[in-house]
Amino acid sequence: MRSIKLEKIKKSISGGLVINDISLTIPAGKFFALLGPSGCGKTTLLRLIAGLDRVDEGKLFLGDEEITQDPIHERPINIVFQNYALFPHLDVFDNIAYSLRLNKLPKLMIEQKVFKILEAFHLENHIYKLPTQLSGGQQQRVALARAIVNEPAVLLLDEPLAALDFKLRERMLIELIELQDKLKTTFVYVTHDQFEALTVADQMAIMNHRGEIEQIGTPKEIYEFPHSSFVAKFVGTTNIFNGVLRNCDSSDPEIEISDLGRFKLPASHKKAWMKEGCDILMSLRPEKIFISKKEVKNFSNCAKGVVQSIVYHGRSTQYNVLLKNHLKLQVFEQNEEHFPQEVIDYDNEVNLYWQKENVVILEK
Amino acid sequence: MKIPKSITSEGPFAIGIPAIVWQVLFFCLPILLIVITSFIEFSEIGEVLGFTFEKITYFFNPIYFRVIGLSFALALSNALICFSLAYPLAYFLAFRGRRFKSVLLFFLLIPFWTNFLLHVYAWFYVLEKHGFVNNLLLSLGIIQEPLVLLNTPIAIMIMMAYYYLPFMVLPIYSSLERFNPSLIEASYDLGASWFQTFRQIILPLTMRGIRAGFFLVYIPSFGEFAIPGLMGGDKIMFVGTVVSEFILAEGTGSLGAAFMVISGALLLISAIFFYFLLGRLSGRAHG
Repeated sequence: MRSIKLEKIKKSISGGLVINDISLTIPAGKFFALLGPSGCGKTTLLRLIAGLDRVDEGKLFLGDEEITQDPIHERPINIVFQNYALFPHLDVFDNIAYSLRLNKLPKLMIEQKVFKILEAFHLENHIYKLPTQLSGGQQQRVALARAIVNEPAVLLLDEPLAALDFKLRERMLIELIELQDKLKTTFVYVTHDQFEALTVADQMAIMNHRGEIEQIGTPKEIYEFPHSSFVAKFVGTTNIFNGVLRNCDSSDPEIEISDLGRFKLPASHKKAWMKEGCDILMSLRPEKIFISKKEVKNFSNCAKGVVQSIVYHGRSTQYNVLLKNHLKLQVFEQNEEHFPQEVIDYDNEVNLYWQKENVVILEK
Repeated sequence: MKIPKSITSEGPFAIGIPAIVWQVLFFCLPILLIVITSFIEFSEIGEVLGFTFEKITYFFNPIYFRVIGLSFALALSNALICFSLAYPLAYFLAFRGRRFKSVLLFFLLIPFWTNFLLHVYAWFYVLEKHGFVNNLLLSLGIIQEPLVLLNTPIAIMIMMAYYYLPFMVLPIYSSLERFNPSLIEASYDLGASWFQTFRQIILPLTMRGIRAGFFLVYIPSFGEFAIPGLMGGDKIMFVGTVVSEFILAEGTGSLGAAFMVISGALLLISAIFFYFLLGRLSGRAHG
C-alpha cells in the first residue's frame, strides 16, 4: 500500500500528444478511478504507471521513491489487462503461480499462497483448467488473482469488466470493492463507464479529450459539484442552460435565460470569474427536477413546458419536456408509488420545479 | 428429400475422395512395394523366389552405418542452423517488421520462384577460388591465400541452410504473428525479465511453429542428395546419394529399396523422438 505521484507527465504517441502535463496524486490504500471518454489517454496513463511505456517528460513516484526510470519488471505494480492476457499454455494454478515462481519462493509456500487465493476467488474447482476452458467471469478472476498474489504495492485495472455482461459486472464491482477493502492495496481503476467509476471509487479523476485532468474528487463531489460542463455532461446526465448572470453581487443571484425568464441561483457558489452580466452555464440534473401538472409551493424555481415523450425505465421514468424557448429538458421521477401518483401523459402541460441549491453554475 | 445431418458429416468426405485415391495410388502403394521388394528374393528374370533378410543384412556394414550417421548429422545440423537463423528473423518480422513485413516476407520467398540449379551456380560464383567470398577476404587482408570452399562440407552446409531457411522461417513467423503481445507485457509486469519471458511464454507458445519448421527442414535434409552432390563434389556419401546410386545402377534396385527402408525406419524413429522432445520443451516451464 503506497501512493502514486505523477509530476508534470507528458507523453506523445506517434507524434500526437496523448498525455498533456498531468500532475496527480493517487492516495495510498484507496480505490482510485480514472474516468474518461474512449481515446482520452487514460489507458496510456496506466501503462506509464505500470512501466509498459516510458514517459517523455515528468516524474513518477511510488511512495517517496522515484520510479520514472525503473524497468517494468522491477516495479511492484501489477496490471490487470482488459483482455486478461492469461497465459494460454498454463493452467489456472501455473498462471497464478507465475510471479511467485519468478521470485524463487519455496514450492510449499507457492502452493499455500495459490490455494489460498484460489479459495478466496471461488476457483477451487478449476485449478487444472486452461484459460480457454473458463468462462469470462472466471478468466477475470484468474487475471485478478494472478495480479495480486505477489502482493503488489499498487494494482492497476484497465477496463477489467468491459467484456462481462451487465449482471456479472455489477457483482464483480462489489467483489472488487470488498477485495480492495480487505487488501488495502492502492487500486487504480481505468474506465469509460461513469457507473463503474462512481460505484467503486473512493477518489476519482476525470480526463478530457486533450489528455488533461478536468477534476479530482470523491464520486459525490464530482457528481454534485462538477467544475466544468465537460464533467457535468460526462458523469451522469444533466440539463445545461445558457444564460446571463444577474444580481451577481447581491445575496439573490439569478440567471437570465432568453425567452424563458429569470431563475434563482445559489448564493454561496460565488467565484472570481463571475461578473455581472457575463455568460454562464447552469447545470441541472434530471432527478433534481420535480414534475407536476399542479401548482406546488416551496420550490425556488419553476418553468413550464410540454411533455414530448416518456421513457419508462422500471425504477424511474424519464420525461422529455419541451420548454418555451425550445430547450428540451430531461426529468427523472422515481416510480416509488408509495401513494397514488398523478398521471402525466404525452402533450400534457407541466410545471417543472427545482431548488436553487441543486443547480451548478459553470463557466462558459 | 434427404437432408444431411450436418455439413461436416457427409459433404467433405466426398470432396476428400480424389485426394485419398491419389495418396493411396501414388504414395501408400509405392511405399508398400518398396518395403515388399526389400524382403523378397527375385531370380534373374524377375520371378519371386521367396522371403529374405539378406538385402537388409547386406547393409550391416560400418560403411553404411557411417553414411546413415552422416545423414543424421547433416539433417540435424541443418535444422539447428536454420532454426538459429530463422527464429530471430521471424521474431524481427513479426514484432518489429511493421509496414515492411510483407516486403521482407516477399524477399524471403523470391528464391522459391527461381530454378534450383540457378541457385547452385550462383553459389559456385560466390564460393569458388576466385569468387566473391575469397576476393572479399583477400582484399580486406584477412587471408593471404584463397580458401578452398567448394566441394567441402562448408559449401554443403551453406547451400543446405540457404535452401531450407524459408521452410523454417514461415511456420515460426506465422506462430509469432498470431502471438498476443499483451502476454509479453503481462509477463514483464509480473516480474519476468526478457529471457524469462522468452523461455517461459514466447518459446512454448511458438513451439508448434518451431516443430513444424523443424520437421519441414529435418526430414527432407536427411534424404537430400542434390545439394551434397553438387556442392560437395560427391566426396561425401549420404543416404540420398547411396540410394540413388543403387537405384540407378543395373540390377541393384531392390538393394536401394532395402537401404531406403532401413534409413527411413531410423528417420521415423528419430522423428518421433524429436517430436516428443520438442513437446516436452514446450510443456510446463517448471517441472
